Amino acid sequence: MLRYIAKRVFSMFLTLLIIATITFFLMKLLPGSPFNNQEKLTESQRFALNEKYGLNDPVPVQYINYLGKLAQGDLGYTFQYDGRTVNSMISNGIGPSATIGAEAILFGTLIGLILGIAAALKHNSVIDYGAMVVAVFGIAIPSFVFAGLLQYYVGVKLGWLPVAFWNGPEYHILPAFSLSVGVIATVARFMRTEMLEILGTDYILMARSKGISKNAVILKHCVRNSMIPIITILGPLSIGLITGTLVIENIFAIPGLGEQFVKSINLNDYPVIMGTTLFYSFLLITIILVVDILYGIIDPRIRVAGGKS
Amino acid sequence: MSMSERKLTPDLFRPASVDTGKSEEISKPSLSFWQDAFRRLKKNKAAMLGLFAIVFIILFSLVAPTLSKYGMDDQELMRANLPPKIPGLEKIGFLGVNGVDIRGVDQYEMKNVPANQEFWFGTDPLGRDQWTRIWKGTQISLYIAFLAATIDLIVGVVYGGISAFYGGRTDDIMQRFVEILYGIPNLVVIILFIIILDPGILSITLALVITGWIGMSRIVRAQILSLKNREFVLASKTLGSSNGRLISKHLLPNTLGAIIITSTFTIPGAIFFEAFLSFIGLGIQPPTASLGALISDGFKSLRIYPHLAIYPASIMCVLMISFNLLGDGLRDALDPKMRR
Repeated sequence: MLRYIAKRVFSMFLTLLIIATITFFLMKLLPGSPFNNQEKLTESQRFALNEKYGLNDPVPVQYINYLGKLAQGDLGYTFQYDGRTVNSMISNGIGPSATIGAEAILFGTLIGLILGIAAALKHNSVIDYGAMVVAVFGIAIPSFVFAGLLQYYVGVKLGWLPVAFWNGPEYHILPAFSLSVGVIATVARFMRTEMLEILGTDYILMARSKGISKNAVILKHCVRNSMIPIITILGPLSIGLITGTLVIENIFAIPGLGEQFVKSINLNDYPVIMGTTLFYSFLLITIILVVDILYGIIDPRIRVAGGKS
Repeated sequence: MSMSERKLTPDLFRPASVDTGKSEEISKPSLSFWQDAFRRLKKNKAAMLGLFAIVFIILFSLVAPTLSKYGMDDQELMRANLPPKIPGLEKIGFLGVNGVDIRGVDQYEMKNVPANQEFWFGTDPLGRDQWTRIWKGTQISLYIAFLAATIDLIVGVVYGGISAFYGGRTDDIMQRFVEILYGIPNLVVIILFIIILDPGILSITLALVITGWIGMSRIVRAQILSLKNREFVLASKTLGSSNGRLISKHLLPNTLGAIIITSTFTIPGAIFFEAFLSFIGLGIQPPTASLGALISDGFKSLRIYPHLAIYPASIMCVLMISFNLLGDGLRDALDPKMRR
């Protein structure tokens, strides 16, 4: 297990190094410099600016410097504001983004589990069909369409909740809910299938025949065993959530990381683009790694190394 | 009581004739795997509905733009923001296609639009015909769908197949490469492409080519790995089949079910990806519009001109739901064990 983790962590850093290298050289290939927008710069001012940000060095030297700083966790300075670091921009933006992300995944998993369990226990009933219709719609309808509709009906027409911005707990509800719809749908479908499969196994029959009450069997045996595969889908789900926050932050005007990222692309702010790209990749790879390790710990039947694809 | 009175004598019985030849006779026509799968698919109403909706949308997106007199980017500010109006259906109030906007004003009368000009889905703020734009946008979504499926089929299947079939060192190297690619979020890839190439259909296509096939290659690899050690493959090998024959006659046909299922789920994912990019402004650029871009534009004036967002959003949703339903149906039909 330890060897496996070590191997995975190593390949994780290798991936990050490759991403860092690719982004760095792509940025260097780009036409235009970040200062071109400010047209009133003289030649010497431009030279001084380039000198300040190390842009006059040859590219390989810049690359080595960049990697050296990266190893210390320093992502450089943004070109947008004087003297602000990319690290500070990311740490400013991550708060709201992480909050809605966490809220969405907690709420989504909880509701998804309840729906899935209810659907499996009342198999082929109205509840089952209802839950599955919800699930198909939840998977199929893009989160931005859903967010727009919520904003319009709940925010504007009914006026129950604020339409946008980020000023307090009530501002979290709409964005977190629209983000969680996909989670609810996916978790509900998985949970239903797993529950149905486990309800049909012999050990459930055995537990019942020993006289354990129905509720205890469901809670202690069925639900606990069905939860295991749910952990595997949490990885891909969190990736989807990160993509989702980009749109949701745009729709609800939340000052998060995603909004900043889109803005920096339009402004040619290389360090921020590179920094955020690396940060996102780091996040994703870590999530996948953690999920894989958790899976191995929780379910000893599955050896991670040769595990399911 | 009459039954008990009656005696059953042995002469009432005689041996039934046993025709040994007939007992082996097959009374029903035998179904191949695919016929059986299709029969199961036909029984699934939701999946058939999805299939019909997809066929309908494909045909309509090809035919519909030619039905309108207006091109994709024919601007005319005099006729901006007109609500939808379909001749013949005007009398049916609840459809809302009588050219009256949500405040109850007949915009066509107010803006003096000539009587022969009708816009079936209304017009956008630049006076362009939404009907044409929406169906052209649908074409883009369908192009993405087709592209994703093709990449899946070509790159994914070949890559996964080679990796599993040759195994050993080849497999090791190919899988390390996939691991690295898998670690790079496709959002990052597309953004890098957008930065070099400018946003547009080309960068989306390239990003999909680079990342779109990984899921498929993993599934094909897993399938072929388990298949290639089975007895029927060994038997065929013993009889002297070449590698090419093994792959084309034994391994691929047995993987085909999984391949079809996976690609029906890649397609909605890709459609969503494009719509998402266009929505945040990194996808299709004006004057061309995809469904995602149209929805994004429409949301800006949802309160005043709801028709701008509602039509593209509904088509998008119908398309996504249909592909998902068809995918579910195909999975149940092709692989009853995998039911989810």
